Amino acid sequence: MSSSDSERMLKLKSSDGVTFDIKDAIVVTKLEFIKNIIEDCCGDNDLILVPNVNSEILAMVLEWCKKHVGDDIISDGEDDEENEYFSRKKEIKKWDAEFVKNLDQGVLYHLLMAADYLNAKQLLDLLTQRVADMIKGKKSEQIRQIFNIKNDFTPEEEEAIKKRNPWAFE
Amino acid sequence: MREGIGNISRRGVSGKQNHRRTKSHIAPEGSSITPSSSFSSSVLFQQSQWANLPPELLIDIIQRVEASETSWPARRDVVSCASVCRTWREITKEVVKTPEQCGWLTFPISLKQPGPRDAPIQCFIKRERATSTYRLYLGLTPALAEDMSKLLLAARKIRRATSTEFLISLVGDDFSRASNSYIGKLRSNFLGTKFVIYDSQPPHDSVIQTNCRSHRRIHSKQVSPRVPAGNFNVATISYELNVLRTRGPRRMQCTMHSIPISAIQEGGAAPTPSEFSNGLEEHGSPSLSVSSSVSNGKKALMELSSTNDSQELVQCKDPLVLKNKAPRWHEQLQCWCLNFKGRVTVASVKNFQLVAAAEPSQNISAAEQEKVILQFGKIGKDIFTMDYRYPLSAFQAFAICLSSFDTKPACE
Repeated sequence: MSSSDSERMLKLKSSDGVTFDIKDAIVVTKLEFIKNIIEDCCGDNDLILVPNVNSEILAMVLEWCKKHVGDDIISDGEDDEENEYFSRKKEIKKWDAEFVKNLDQGVLYHLLMAADYLNAKQLLDLLTQRVADMIKGKKSEQIRQIFNIKNDFTPEEEEAIKKRNPWAFE
Repeated sequence: MREGIGNISRRGVSGKQNHRRTKSHIAPEGSSITPSSSFSSSVLFQQSQWANLPPELLIDIIQRVEASETSWPARRDVVSCASVCRTWREITKEVVKTPEQCGWLTFPISLKQPGPRDAPIQCFIKRERATSTYRLYLGLTPALAEDMSKLLLAARKIRRATSTEFLISLVGDDFSRASNSYIGKLRSNFLGTKFVIYDSQPPHDSVIQTNCRSHRRIHSKQVSPRVPAGNFNVATISYELNVLRTRGPRRMQCTMHSIPISAIQEGGAAPTPSEFSNGLEEHGSPSLSVSSSVSNGKKALMELSSTNDSQELVQCKDPLVLKNKAPRWHEQLQCWCLNFKGRVTVASVKNFQLVAAAEPSQNISAAEQEKVILQFGKIGKDIFTMDYRYPLSAFQAFAICLSSFDTKPACE
């Protein structure tokens, strides 16, 4: 049994029964929920159940985690290190943009819920910002189409909104 | 803003109790069906998962939209969010702050809410002589924003036998009183020396609003959407000749019946309606009425009395009175001068600055008495600037400025 957390191996099991081998627990430090469980357990190669997330989504979450390992390490101030730090930051940012770019709204939704459940603040920020960006510049009908939302106002309410709020329909 | 997350994960661990979330995760990819048994809402059809996001997530998302789109036209995105579906509307209205709190105008109701305390909201008015129409836009001047300026209100001047009326509407081309975009009017007496501002709804906070509306006994199911607007006298404006007759600027006084003097006393607040009402709530369910009023202990006593069928008086016991700041006589320039801080560039008898008129007994601080609450003046042919701040709303400010367009030669 290793004494250091970061050398610990573990397994995650998704809601649909797929097991993910994590060679190095450091990969999941950004998932607060998992991290808390690890800190409370003491066995090596533990199996952690993640009943709220299916395998496709969990795989994506882990992919994001792997990319972001150590992304908050600050350099000591050496020029070389700083340049490397900044260029890595830039590269990660670009990767994040690609990660969210073509997500189908269904997948985006499940990722959002998974990030929320797993308490992964950084991933959650990325995803909520993505949703906000998808909303910007759109009218309400377009927003409904993108996110497959039904208009549940009654006809009277709709009429009142249109008349009382012409600003929504300019 | 993230304090909810810790709670969420704990809830997630014992997620069996939270059916909605557990079930939606196990749902197949791309599915937009959520078990209707999980909801007690009256939605008759299956609603998208996006309509039922956990509130803290939806709040986060809409806050991001709101924070990045503060000025128009981009701010329309916030308004769009409020028109998507019921849950989004509720959350958006919770997220958006009043102009007094944040300095931004978001929904039309913002036009009936007091402006910010620290600095005015700057607008301009364009007069279209051919149609006797006056349009209020948000922005410094037309030149800066070209045609992109946000239209806030419009008014049409109608001359009648014994008075003139300015009908005020949310849209630039519909001034019918039966329309839902009609929000009030200004009426002058024959001489153009006294004016009354009428609001189509009582300017109370939402709590008091439901009491007022009960007098009218209107239920949204029973009437068609078009209900004749009320007529609440919220302010009177009077113009007097200067004692020196035509040689000096005229004196203006505005008695704001709906704004108590306590609004500008320490800790005071002005009425802040949170919803339009006019026999028809914008939203069917009363639970939507989110009170956005700035509330504290001081709420002035309001009386609502009916003088006749078409007029209802809203009277504070101690209303705020505004008067125009006296210009100084400039010996060298040989004219009367007010410091408009660059916002007014053409001399005109219509130009004015309004400050609070305070008796010593009313305990108004010197700083408050100095504040120019409303400033109006000409910058070009048919173009005027209007800067207003707390405790006036855009609607009240616009109506007061309109009175300046109608005063007759007897007053000039």
